[in-house]
Amino acid sequence: MADDDREQSEGAVSRRAFLKGGAAATGALSATLMPGVAEAQLPLAKDADPRLTTVDLRVNGVAYRKEVPNSRTLVEFIREDLKLTGTKVGCDRAMCGACTVILNGRNVYACSMLAVEVSGGDVTTIEGLGTTDALHPIQQAFIEKSGFQCGFCTSGQIMSTKALLDKMPRPTEDDARLLMSGNLCRCSAYKRILESVMTASRLLQA
Amino acid sequence: MAQQQNQNATLNVVGTRGPNIDAIARVTGTAKYTGDIELPGMLHARVLRSPHPHARIVGIDTSKAEALPGVKAVITYKDAPKLPIWGSRQFVMNDRVRFVGEGFAAVAATDLETADRALRLIQVQFEQLPFVMDPEEALKPGAPQLFPDGNLEGQARAVTRGSVEQGFKESDRVIERVYRCPTMWSGSMEPHAAIALWEGAKLTMWCSAQSPNRVHMNMTQQFDLSDANCRIISSYVGGGFGTKSAPHVDETIAALLAKKAGRPVKLQYTREEEILDSNTRFEVKMYMRVGVMKDMSIRALDVRAYINQGAYHSRLGGLGNHATHLYNITHLRTQQFRVHTNIANTGPTRGVGDPQECFGLDSVLDEIANEMGWDPMAFRLKNIKRNGDPVPRGQTGVEDGVLINQGAELCINQGAARLGWNRRNPTPGAGQSGPKARGIGMAVTERGGGAGLAGAEVKINLDGSVVMSFASTDIGTGSRTTLSMIASEVLGVPLSKFLTVAGDTEAAPYDGGSQGNRTLQSTGRAVEQAARDCLQQVFAAAAPLLKAMPAELEMRDSVVRVRGDAQRMMALSEVMSRRGRSIVGDGNVAGAQTGMNVERTPGAHFVEVEVDRETGKVRILKYVSAHDVGQPINLTIVENQLEGGTIQGLALTQAEEMRFDPRDGKCLNANFLDLKPPTMMDFDPRVIDIIAVDNKSAFGPFGAKGLGENPNHPGMAAVANAIYNATGVRLREVPFTRADVLQGLGQQRPAAQTARG
Repeated sequence: MADDDREQSEGAVSRRAFLKGGAAATGALSATLMPGVAEAQLPLAKDADPRLTTVDLRVNGVAYRKEVPNSRTLVEFIREDLKLTGTKVGCDRAMCGACTVILNGRNVYACSMLAVEVSGGDVTTIEGLGTTDALHPIQQAFIEKSGFQCGFCTSGQIMSTKALLDKMPRPTEDDARLLMSGNLCRCSAYKRILESVMTASRLLQA
Repeated sequence: MAQQQNQNATLNVVGTRGPNIDAIARVTGTAKYTGDIELPGMLHARVLRSPHPHARIVGIDTSKAEALPGVKAVITYKDAPKLPIWGSRQFVMNDRVRFVGEGFAAVAATDLETADRALRLIQVQFEQLPFVMDPEEALKPGAPQLFPDGNLEGQARAVTRGSVEQGFKESDRVIERVYRCPTMWSGSMEPHAAIALWEGAKLTMWCSAQSPNRVHMNMTQQFDLSDANCRIISSYVGGGFGTKSAPHVDETIAALLAKKAGRPVKLQYTREEEILDSNTRFEVKMYMRVGVMKDMSIRALDVRAYINQGAYHSRLGGLGNHATHLYNITHLRTQQFRVHTNIANTGPTRGVGDPQECFGLDSVLDEIANEMGWDPMAFRLKNIKRNGDPVPRGQTGVEDGVLINQGAELCINQGAARLGWNRRNPTPGAGQSGPKARGIGMAVTERGGGAGLAGAEVKINLDGSVVMSFASTDIGTGSRTTLSMIASEVLGVPLSKFLTVAGDTEAAPYDGGSQGNRTLQSTGRAVEQAARDCLQQVFAAAAPLLKAMPAELEMRDSVVRVRGDAQRMMALSEVMSRRGRSIVGDGNVAGAQTGMNVERTPGAHFVEVEVDRETGKVRILKYVSAHDVGQPINLTIVENQLEGGTIQGLALTQAEEMRFDPRDGKCLNANFLDLKPPTMMDFDPRVIDIIAVDNKSAFGPFGAKGLGENPNHPGMAAVANAIYNATGVRLREVPFTRADVLQGLGQQRPAAQTARG
């Protein structure tokens, strides 16, 4: 009966464990496939410690170069290395959208990408959208329509709204429902989130 | 008091709309939740959890884990205080595990990956024990026993009035049905999190709690601390819904690790941990027997309920008070068996059994109304309690009180008009051709608000700005805003001058916390008192400056004025700076002052569904959620609560059942994909229509009532009743899957007498 737990946790390979284990390989593979990333920017293993890689990321307009463990996820990079805690972790399994950020123009789940995988990329987080003194129109819309309750999913909701409206400036309500369906709100403030998206669309048109 | 009431005849702040005062922090990501806080030298913790539903730990070896570089503390059940968590019978860790996911050891390390690795190095020997997951099975002779005193928690809770057997004899029609609400996930977007910091003998803890003072009580007990040596802070909380309303093991584990390591420790639950170990909504199986007279009155109701508490309870479960406080029933008996089994911890969720009771009671009433050929709404209007009707003030069922300020009839009539109840076809499933069948249903709920002790402190600074401190929390209910609006209304100081300190046990007086519809009603009254206390002190300071009596003064827009004299006035900031000392006012309210057992807060839901008879899909076409809200403090927040709570309640009709494997007790769907909480695509929020029925409380501040829980209750019953009206299929177990609907359509015969499973 000894070591029951060890067998349990190692026997069942979670998606997360797979990600972590395959970190270096995944990173290299994705980087070569990523368009627009110059060869020189490819993450290369350091001589000293093959478990560490230098990552170059532009976050909210600021260029960062950091040596991080290959297993570092993008959301860990954002929250722990850059101390930008506006991006939340709700599930760490790409199932809730609380960690949504914009990477190279697309809304992505930052919990399920590796920092090395997106090296060379351009990231926008909630901190890069507007400030408490100069709110972005989407943030204004979420305030005007009270598109939140507890606020924990809100950063992700707002970043998905940004990606949606960048691509489709005048969505119908059904477009918005579909394109916002990657973001859970457990308080279920959905009616007001939908109104916030539509209001943001109007504010941005104005 | 009369004079104060007159002063408030015209409200300036209360009853308006507007954004939350902390909205900017919430939409810019600057609001700091527990997980966002980092302390110098902070360690990260992980918990080792049982893979077995019931086992004794006969050997544990942590030496390899302790030797791992980066590991700073390892604790096991041997290090845990032999003292139950406040309100529960669970020890923080134990040598006996009673559900899959129960923690029995924990590690603090410099980073999470090291902590994870260390967990795998802990060697454990289990002696597996037989386990039981069904509450009725658990009460049978020979069932596996979780505790030395058995699986039944205390005495069965019983309410008896009259004689149900006599009542059934007298009844013109009696039916008996069984309903079941399974164990349902009720967690929030932010998983449990706790950070413990020891400075000498003093513990400071940041945690995601609804009731910081309950956590405080637990910590002072677990570590034998004075009240002053323990500070709990829950400033921003990412939802709670009841799962964070009581102390939980995570806080104590973090504090034990921090103590042992001599460094601050953060314990952040993963989503899987949060689902497995977060005091989720308990399963209730209800055997219901109801007898009616030909005059549409309810003669007798007999309810036998089995409440599956899981291994432990954060707070004891039960049914709500619908049988005693919502309907007039001549002969009544309810028996509630609270049973421990080897599944996850449970606790109250947006009502203590109210959604479950509402499903059972409002389903069986709908069934008997249909059998008798009565309009279900007319049947309810015949039997609901109205103001002046007797209600029990205690737990026994003896009707020693008189109901006041309850607007059930208003909710029913307004909701019915909005949905168009008169369109309802009285014959279920009749007159509809084609695959799509439409039907209309309703359900009624009620609850009280404002239990326990509450406190608040209001301070006016020398520049006239206001700091309001309270130890209940804003878990998304907007209490920072509504409580500030109450103080703003009393003081005559605009909201823009307010700063709130929420959920801090050191900064604020004792408060029971944010649960049970209580914050607005109880903490709100404490805030009102504290603000009035301040206002009197402001007037006392200003009177000599304005050469007036304090009683002649009033304050509006932060200017103290002599009533009826436009010339004599002084800015609050000037009064304060001349006074040279800040003003502090405090308020404290006892639960008895909130009248919660006689003043009730009802609601009525009406729904039109469309059932696809070929696929079994149920679509909600229109949903009206009408609630008695007392005096709304902030209408935007009221509507947001009612909308969100309604959708969250309706989610239970579709998904969110926690399923456990009967072979090994493991939860089969401990993730969002398999639990399926609804997204905006799963549930079209536009179908929700809210009616906020203004029906002032005699006890709440400015007549406000707590209402956060109520919209969560009636969804299951209302939808089940509508599906029946559309198709003739009666569903007695939630969630209502397409398979259930299709199976019912396939049978299309008088209802079976028992629930599935």
